[in-house]
Amino acid sequence: MKPIFRTIAIAILAGTAALPSFAQTGKTPTLPGLDDDALEQWGGEEGVRNWVESLFYYIMLDNRINHIFREFGNIERQIFLNTQLEQLVLGGNVNYQGASMAAAHADLGITVTQFNAVVEAAYNACERINVTYEACNQLIAALAPYERVIVTR
Amino acid sequence: MEEAKKNGLRLFKSAALVAAILASNITQAEMFNTGKVLATGGVSMIDGAGGGGITPWATITGYATRDGINGNLHYTYAPLANYTLHSLGAAVGFWDRFELSYTKSSLTTGSTFDTVGLVADTAGGATGQLAGMPINTGIEPFNTTIDMDIVGAKVRVFGEAIYDSDNLIPQVAIGGFYKKNKNEDLLKTLKASKAKDWEAYISATKIFFPINTLINITARYTAANQTGLVGFGGPGGDDKEIRPEISLAYLLRKDTVIGVEWAKHGDNLEGESVEIGGLNLTELQPTLDSLGLSNLSGTLTQHESDWFDAFIAYFPNKNLSMTFAYAMLGDITITPDQHGFYLSLQASF
Repeated sequence: MKPIFRTIAIAILAGTAALPSFAQTGKTPTLPGLDDDALEQWGGEEGVRNWVESLFYYIMLDNRINHIFREFGNIERQIFLNTQLEQLVLGGNVNYQGASMAAAHADLGITVTQFNAVVEAAYNACERINVTYEACNQLIAALAPYERVIVTR
Repeated sequence: MEEAKKNGLRLFKSAALVAAILASNITQAEMFNTGKVLATGGVSMIDGAGGGGITPWATITGYATRDGINGNLHYTYAPLANYTLHSLGAAVGFWDRFELSYTKSSLTTGSTFDTVGLVADTAGGATGQLAGMPINTGIEPFNTTIDMDIVGAKVRVFGEAIYDSDNLIPQVAIGGFYKKNKNEDLLKTLKASKAKDWEAYISATKIFFPINTLINITARYTAANQTGLVGFGGPGGDDKEIRPEISLAYLLRKDTVIGVEWAKHGDNLEGESVEIGGLNLTELQPTLDSLGLSNLSGTLTQHESDWFDAFIAYFPNKNLSMTFAYAMLGDITITPDQHGFYLSLQASF
């Protein structure tokens, strides 16, 4: 096979293979890229933890999705793992100890409607803890690609 | 002929059956869905499709995700210097894949065509007596309204406008409009070639969250004059061309968006005067000059400008959106500097 075609084929395969594998490797490679100080805008680990607690507060209020999180169980552990994951995708130097987003959601049959309900809770949480809309969108951008693996129905 | 009638009847029956099934399903709670995140269905553009103010986007209108169906009504009001545009329509989005819209537009032309109408009536009176034929310009001096019906359809082809923040692939949709302008006589006076025509477009839309920005690029294949309000085509024919349209929106808050738009317009009637009773006023220029009426022929020369608008859209909840814009529509037929505010309301179910 001509060298140029081989190079193109490898590039395409590498590109498609890269899609799910970034899941736990770190800062989400968004286009355009996330701010260098994205995590600082959030107030570091404390700020993210505050937001995740607020997020779950809003999730539990929403009848479209609260049962899913309740059935999964151990809300405190979910808050702990989410705090790690959100720091990680914003570029933080943490060791994420949870399952990949794909594995964690594989059997839940999540719909786009339910995913969007969590996004709405995310925006509500940002407003509640007085994080700016721009900083909030940094996190939304960092988490958005997971929609492809979280939504399975 | 009989075959065609039978096929038509069969098609109508199956369409009616599908509509009945859909209607009975929609009444069940499951089909009706408002799961889209606030503001992500866009608003209603001037032709009734989902999108910005003057340009259709690749987003499917309504708040339904692929889990259901949702619809909305819109009303747009634009009081410009010499015209007032009213647009009222309904649109439905099906499973975030397919969209249908129907809009009635009405453009009251104020005093714009009064000159032409009065000239025609006078000339018609004179020549009518000579030739026994009245001249029908489609203009009622002091009371001319242009009405247009628009049917629209759009299909989302591929892509994800919101959640693909790690690639540059936009959401892409193709769509079309069928526009029927009711004032055929006026369009003949203004030398448009057709009163009814179709348009097609392809749109690419994407939100870039790290910079809080939405970008839409649309390419429209059309022969419309002023989006069809002044008919389609002109003395040079009614060939369609591809015209670009761009929307740039900045997300200020989850419920507030500001932006600008630009839509390229055509020049089918550029430099054309009006035609009264078969007389082309452009060609009559020397005669008019000799009669001391050169200002009249100059005033009666048509132009068409690209459209620009700057808007702010506010979404207080999923049932209502309000768009305030300042529209710079330039030259519309024989009147220049058509700038003004426009207000658009969209009420969702």
